[in-house]
Amino acid sequence: MSIFTNKSEKLFIFFFFAIGLVIPLFLADNVFYINKISSMIIIAIFVMSLDYLVGRSGLITLGHAMFYGIGGYIFTIIAPEYETVNFWIYTFYVMSISAFVALIVGFIVLRTSGIYMIMITLALSQMCFYYFADSVDYGGFDGLFIYIKPETSIFGFNFLDLNNESHFYYLCLLSLFNCFVFFKVLMKSSFGRVIDALKENPERATALGYNIFHFRLIAYVIASSLAAYAGYLFALQYGFVNPSMMSWEVSATALVMALLGGLGSIYGAILGAFAYEGLHYVLEHVTQYWMFFMGCLIILMVLTLKNGLSGLLSNLVGDKENE
Amino acid sequence: MSNIVLEAENLCKFWGGLKALDEFSIKFYDKQIHSIVGPNGAGKSTLLNLLSGAYQATHGVIIYNGKPITSAKSYEFCRSGIGRSFQKTNIFHTQTCLENCCIAAQQQIGGSFKFFQNRNQNKFIIKAALSALEKVGLTERAKTKASQISYGEQRQLEIAMVLATNPKVILLDEPMAGMGHEESQTIVKLLMTLKSQYCIVLVEHDMEAVFELSDLMTVMVDGQHLITDSVDNIRSNPLVQDAYLGNDDEVF
Repeated sequence: MSIFTNKSEKLFIFFFFAIGLVIPLFLADNVFYINKISSMIIIAIFVMSLDYLVGRSGLITLGHAMFYGIGGYIFTIIAPEYETVNFWIYTFYVMSISAFVALIVGFIVLRTSGIYMIMITLALSQMCFYYFADSVDYGGFDGLFIYIKPETSIFGFNFLDLNNESHFYYLCLLSLFNCFVFFKVLMKSSFGRVIDALKENPERATALGYNIFHFRLIAYVIASSLAAYAGYLFALQYGFVNPSMMSWEVSATALVMALLGGLGSIYGAILGAFAYEGLHYVLEHVTQYWMFFMGCLIILMVLTLKNGLSGLLSNLVGDKENE
Repeated sequence: MSNIVLEAENLCKFWGGLKALDEFSIKFYDKQIHSIVGPNGAGKSTLLNLLSGAYQATHGVIIYNGKPITSAKSYEFCRSGIGRSFQKTNIFHTQTCLENCCIAAQQQIGGSFKFFQNRNQNKFIIKAALSALEKVGLTERAKTKASQISYGEQRQLEIAMVLATNPKVILLDEPMAGMGHEESQTIVKLLMTLKSQYCIVLVEHDMEAVFELSDLMTVMVDGQHLITDSVDNIRSNPLVQDAYLGNDDEVF
């Protein structure tokens, strides 16, 4: 059973990861670009988790960056400062703790829906932002530093050295691929069937005997802990965390990327993140008024492309049905 | 007479000062079609919404199979075997007809918390969904999107989804609303065949169909119970004629 929904998705994923695998070979002496692409991949993971929430589950949130930030902070807080720790063990810790946080937050925010949910997620994430921005223990606006990056050995084998940019890049690429496969399998599962149903018609799903709150909560926890994972990777890449990671602009930008890529298509998140970040990078070097042009371009794209960039790709390839 | 499946005692629903349903008591028997009629605003839909758990009763008791279920959550009604259809077509438009029924069947059969198993792997769900589609005669439409079938077929699908939940009691809210004569005849025939297996509560404005189908009829006026009797007795009852059927100027 294929995990792909249509031809364009298959093509895109194939080309993206094929190019992604070989590109460090051409950029071997240019660390800047490898770092740049790594950070774009991390953002793509974050956007993908948001896309699952907004596009697939119908839960619109403006507080997703809270978990992005929390992911980074949890690692920095729980890991001993001058000791090498294991990456995989701390991935488990970071994701379980943030899943627990998401469970509590989800319990509160999922009592609402629509515009109220947007407001309450925004409020909670701003609370979290100011908590970290004002806390003396956690470095206030300057945040915290990670002095020693974790090692990644599994049963004594060490494949990846996180201090090496190319190795870190491959770790990000692998994570993105795993996230993509994970979300696709989730979408096609029996659980995904209920998520599809309650996104389209929650009233009917309740009448059919589903407790929609439980399903929404699970989707929320899954998406939030993956956002935390993305934040954890971000913290490892740059070696610091600060409150601006969880500012509402980060949530809003991610939402724009998800829209740009095509809501609910999952792989569109990769497209959206790369298109947005790529444009940002290019325009930034052309003019100092890059935000203006960027805004215009995004408005244009949202107006002309009905299903975002993934929809455009789908049309070009000639998919029969973009669902 | 067969046994009582669903029962309401002194059921009340107030919207502020408005008494949508006032001290309403009724009994539904197994393997019968029990129609509820009454002019607009009589509280028929309110009654169905209470019986299906969509509304919470202001006071009064709902008894299902001898147990009170008044305080149950709305999704628990369906799980215990009270299925309902909606007055306004309420289906999953972007999904195929088969998928619509699968969503309905999955709740009863289970597996909703299987995250990594493909949704089409559970053959019991597909089988239950197909048999529900077959009962209403939509087998040929299984692979068609729900938004692309005709209005009449959507109403049939609506019933198929209720059947896929494997109910004991079926609450139908105007299944023939907005249908032409021929289309409603399909539904009438369908309900005739379903009668032998389920307890059916029918709210309907199509009097011809109601008289044809019903074993028992209840007439409601202004949120109150007027009379419950067999079709023939209702027809000749002067009270009913006065309240509902008789006057020429009555607007449905």
